[in-house]
Amino acid sequence: MDRIKVFQIAAYVIAAVIISRLFYWQFLAKVATNSSGIANESKIPASRGQIYASDGFPLVANQEAFLLYGQPNELGGDVNTVAQKLSPFLIPEKYSTSSAQLSEDEQKQKDEEIKNEQQILAEKLSDKKLFWVQLARKIPLELKTKIDSLSLKGLDFERDTKRFYPEASMAAHLLGFVGSNKFGDDTGYFGLEGFYDGQLKGQDGRLGEEKDPLGFPILVGSYRSIPPKEGDSLYLTIDRSIQYIVEKRLSQDVQKYGAKDGTVIVSDPKTGHILAMATYPNYNPGLFSEYSEQDFKNPAVSDAYEPGSTFKLVAMSAALDLSLIDPNTRCDACSGPKQIGDYKIETWNKQYHPNSTMTEVIEHSDNVGMTFVSQKLGVDRFSDYIRKFGFGSKTGIDVQGEIPGLIRPKDEWRPIDLATASFGQGLAVTPIQMVQAVQAIANGGKLINPRVVEKIVENGHEMHTNSPNERQVISQKTSALMTEMMVNAVEKGEAKAFVPKGYSIAGKTGTAQIPVAGHYDPTKTIASFVGFAPAENPRFVMLVRFTEPSSSIFGSETAAPTFFGIAKDIFNYLSISPNSN
Amino acid sequence: MYDFRVAKKQPNYNLIGKIRVRILVVLATLVFSLFFAQLVFANNLATDGQKLAGIQKQIADLKDQNMTLKVQIAQASSFQTLSQKAADMGFVSAKDPIILK
Repeated sequence: MDRIKVFQIAAYVIAAVIISRLFYWQFLAKVATNSSGIANESKIPASRGQIYASDGFPLVANQEAFLLYGQPNELGGDVNTVAQKLSPFLIPEKYSTSSAQLSEDEQKQKDEEIKNEQQILAEKLSDKKLFWVQLARKIPLELKTKIDSLSLKGLDFERDTKRFYPEASMAAHLLGFVGSNKFGDDTGYFGLEGFYDGQLKGQDGRLGEEKDPLGFPILVGSYRSIPPKEGDSLYLTIDRSIQYIVEKRLSQDVQKYGAKDGTVIVSDPKTGHILAMATYPNYNPGLFSEYSEQDFKNPAVSDAYEPGSTFKLVAMSAALDLSLIDPNTRCDACSGPKQIGDYKIETWNKQYHPNSTMTEVIEHSDNVGMTFVSQKLGVDRFSDYIRKFGFGSKTGIDVQGEIPGLIRPKDEWRPIDLATASFGQGLAVTPIQMVQAVQAIANGGKLINPRVVEKIVENGHEMHTNSPNERQVISQKTSALMTEMMVNAVEKGEAKAFVPKGYSIAGKTGTAQIPVAGHYDPTKTIASFVGFAPAENPRFVMLVRFTEPSSSIFGSETAAPTFFGIAKDIFNYLSISPNSN
Repeated sequence: MYDFRVAKKQPNYNLIGKIRVRILVVLATLVFSLFFAQLVFANNLATDGQKLAGIQKQIADLKDQNMTLKVQIAQASSFQTLSQKAADMGFVSAKDPIILK
């Protein structure tokens, strides 16, 4: 046999061996890979839905963020050196301003934070048995770029997202924020993020695929994919311009009047849509970890207070609706203080108006006159109307943390409770309940529960939220009479100097002393003003509430000017001209 | 004289054999070609994983860029930014607009 033939046979044999081996690996062998079965599956994260204002502008969006991790066994260089280089980037964001802008104390705190962070990082990176250790979450792109520039070996990033607030702290109490639950997953807390967390977060997908030792997918291997369900997006009824107007004025006036805090709600009385909801001081939801839990509560829905004289509107509406009185009915008990048991009912300024009409009772905010009204109503009827107006139960607004307020059961009312309730003492309501009740007066008597979300968009499909519940609580006639009385109260009341000229505004002031340790502290009040405009064809209802204003304790000198200031800006924004219907 | 009776036809074993052999050859060629094609495609696909990983990374990068651009647009058109820019340019808010009827 010549050598060429031997070579040929050898070549055929080698080729046959290679082919048969390939055949074996390709079709017969069951290779036990480290990426088989469940271990092979990876999570495809669903992106969280966004929250838009009524003009389609995102109030809450998502931005690129990264998880920073270390691989201690691959770390290049000394652990302490790496920790020292890295620590200044991983301290809380409030210290991220340049050193020149920090006070001496803040600089000391910053140095202390850096030192602590360095220690924590060194501890995490020292354990060489660890293959992977998390160093920081949700770090923004700019920070990643800075860390990248350090060229530290053994550190890497995983893609992630975090919430971004283009309007910074606008509507923070309404929106809520996104933090982590005990498993480290993004979870919404408070406000809309909390209420709609299930819909906003979507559902993560799963990807099952085989990978080669370099991590590349093997396309001939098994492949199973469950796509993620992206989070639904919320489109709010909030008008960004009105929200901006409200927040700007509110922050100025809380400081101007030396109040502890202030809350404003603006709604559309015809639909129950909330156009603005703001509280000052507020917080930055992007830096929520730097605030205490108390700061997150939305006082507009979670804070019960004694409404004071604004509640006179409810008692008066009830009595008018039952035809027990009319606007010209004269009060025959208004010539002086009224004694009920051991208690003496007085007016707020100790001035009395004998034989005043009901319109004048509202105009003077006369407590004795309201006691006259409450006695005509009686406990049963007054209590029924209070509940018909939605007090004592949640309005159903789609925001987390709403409370029902406190209205005592009918059988626990004493004569003094009947009298004090008529001018808003001895019961507790929330600001949103007050707005809901005044909406009914403004819109012809219909109680419409307030809403914040107009529509939810799921994978491009619009899903409208449930229609609001509507029920007639007072007649249209009563509504019209109350509107006239409220317009008169604005035009002739204590705050008439602040009313924008040429506009017909219906409203009522309220000054409620705050109960402290079983008695009322005369120096601490909740000053409020509630009303709507234009009175003939209301475009908005607004409540302004200040807690413990110090420049003046009265609503007529604090909340009312704020109300009229905001109203003026809203008139301009909505192109409502003076004397226009 | 010609015999018009139908003669009994003798089977052509030689032709059938030839056809069978041809079918077998065609089938064998087909099987071998398919087997070879499978090997070629499988091996090509094995290396395409790298390309796929590259494309997937590119998609993720583009999505992130898109997200960043949206954030930049939102930031640039926010009231916070616009009011600051307006103030810097000397604009003031209209306190008492005149309404013409």
